[in-house]
Amino acid sequence: MAKMVVFCGSDEPQKAFPPFMLGSGALALDMELVLFFTMDGLNIVRKGGAAVIKLDGAAMTLPQFIDTVKQGGARLIACSAAFPIVECQEEDLIDGVECSGVATFVAEAEEADVVLTF
Amino acid sequence: MIAVEELAKLIPDKEVDARGVACPGPLLEAKRGITTVPVGGVISILSSDVSTNNDLPRWAAKMGHEYLGTITEAGFWRIFVKRAK
Repeated sequence: MAKMVVFCGSDEPQKAFPPFMLGSGALALDMELVLFFTMDGLNIVRKGGAAVIKLDGAAMTLPQFIDTVKQGGARLIACSAAFPIVECQEEDLIDGVECSGVATFVAEAEEADVVLTF
Repeated sequence: MIAVEELAKLIPDKEVDARGVACPGPLLEAKRGITTVPVGGVISILSSDVSTNNDLPRWAAKMGHEYLGTITEAGFWRIFVKRAK
């Protein structure tokens, strides 16, 4: 199965939505999907964070996109290296997000067929 | 692909209305819809997103389904896909 890894490093709407737009598309094409959240991108998976990131004209809201990719079997990984930088802790994150570090991202990226950065 | 005249006579097993939804909404609706018909069944996806006209044939080819063709309606498209597996 082909695999796509997406580096989600921003909570700016025009950067926060594309990982989910493309990621849900990858799932529709039966690809494996890993989303790696770091720096301000951690706000996407922070409790209450996604609801305030809005993009008019998008197919869904960000919380709906998160549910869609989770139901599709995506793995959501929060980068613990960025926790002290953006003042985030594991308990601040929504359910279903695993915490990992740089080695996980590098290993996932090395195994992936497609790596995208936002 | 089948001729548009033949397509127009085809009654799909399931119609999915994804009009007014931006990409990738119609694609995700197609993915959901195809599983609701048996192998050999046909779905039609109603979409007003122009890029979906290119996306769904690509998706069908990649997933091993058969893209049958597209009918242009007033302000939207009716895209037919046959479930092949």
